[in-house]
Amino acid sequence: MAEIMGSRFGIPPEAFEGVSFFLRGRNVWAFSLPQVPDLDFEAVGLRFLSVRGRIPKPTTYALQLFGGFATKNAVDLSIEEARVFIAGERQQLSAPVEDGYVVVSHGGDVLGCGLYSRGELISQLPKERRIEEKEIESFREGCGR
Amino acid sequence: MIPEFDRFVEAIYRPLPATARINTLKTDRDRLLCRLEGGGVACRPFAWYPSGIRLQTEKPGNLVENLMGHIHLQEEISMVSPVVLDPRPGERVLDLCAAPGSKTTQIAMMMENRGLLVANDPANGRVASLRSNCEKAGAINVAVTRYDGRRFPAQKFDRVLVDGPCTGQGMARKDQKVLGRWSLKRSLGLQRLQAALLKRGVEVAKPGGTVVYSTCTFAPEENEGVVSRVLDQVRGLSLQEVSVPNLKGSPGLSIWGGSLFGDEMKRCARYYPHKNDTGGFFVAKLVKE
Repeated sequence: MAEIMGSRFGIPPEAFEGVSFFLRGRNVWAFSLPQVPDLDFEAVGLRFLSVRGRIPKPTTYALQLFGGFATKNAVDLSIEEARVFIAGERQQLSAPVEDGYVVVSHGGDVLGCGLYSRGELISQLPKERRIEEKEIESFREGCGR
Repeated sequence: MIPEFDRFVEAIYRPLPATARINTLKTDRDRLLCRLEGGGVACRPFAWYPSGIRLQTEKPGNLVENLMGHIHLQEEISMVSPVVLDPRPGERVLDLCAAPGSKTTQIAMMMENRGLLVANDPANGRVASLRSNCEKAGAINVAVTRYDGRRFPAQKFDRVLVDGPCTGQGMARKDQKVLGRWSLKRSLGLQRLQAALLKRGVEVAKPGGTVVYSTCTFAPEENEGVVSRVLDQVRGLSLQEVSVPNLKGSPGLSIWGGSLFGDEMKRCARYYPHKNDTGGFFVAKLVKE
């Protein structure tokens, strides 16, 4: 898993130190222990990556946690672009990234996962987390890294 | 029972201030405060807990910091039971009545995402919000289970939180209706469940382990009544003093109505809305020999 995240986003393997990965169904989960507990559980750890599609898709929550370490295939949006992304919409964007899933941030803070394809950035934020542009509260410039 | 009763009554008719917890799994405090200030959101950290903040904003749920999981909207006083529990990175911890997960995610954060935190809740509908909050928080050390807490399987935990289901009188500032719904019969009915949950919580704690019992109600039947009942039933438990610096607590009750709970109940803490401008809460800390 660290390899996939390393080759796509340039995230160093140290970022995943102490994290174990499990495949359950068509999802990979990140967990703090090498063994799942001996219990009848609903979920263990954080849903990290979906292997449902042709290419593995990282979850927004995984990128919010580890995407800050990305050194490639990451875009930092302007405030107006970020508002469009937060609303869950698509936008034309010229960015030095390869087509596929990208880490999307604003002011150095990760917003979530985006899909970049032929000069267009498509927000992959879960529907329940999106905020309509006119509803976004007090959003100005970030604080830099 | 309640000190300065006039001020208490006045306080419970005021709406609660907007409060949030800074999620240090995803950001750090200075950075978050800088962001909010940059966005023109006035915020003030709690005097008693550096990760807690009061916010002045219309719809805190629509803050981008909330979307990113950098803050979790949580009532101030509910942050107190994880603080009393004091979980450490790498430990095995059980949150027996976990949904919707505010305290769970606070515990995961205090454990720095290490060790094991089992978040249990039997209610099907509530487990969805628990899972969603854990995802948003970026908690990777949480296993979600759905056992009846009274029959949680035999395991050994360093710390157990039993934040029991209750009549919720302490939530009156959020929803006045809770006061109208209260009856002694409901409190006594819940007492049986609460005592059974706390008893199981104690059983699955390791020797030397800590068990914290909390509710968001004032009813002594659901608080001191539960703790004294479990202390009577289970040997080898000691009741510890609950005291959080810079947060004004009142001692637990040693006597109420016809019930004598015992002087040691004064070691529990009651938190009243007019003392800290929060909701109401009760916390007891037990240590297993």
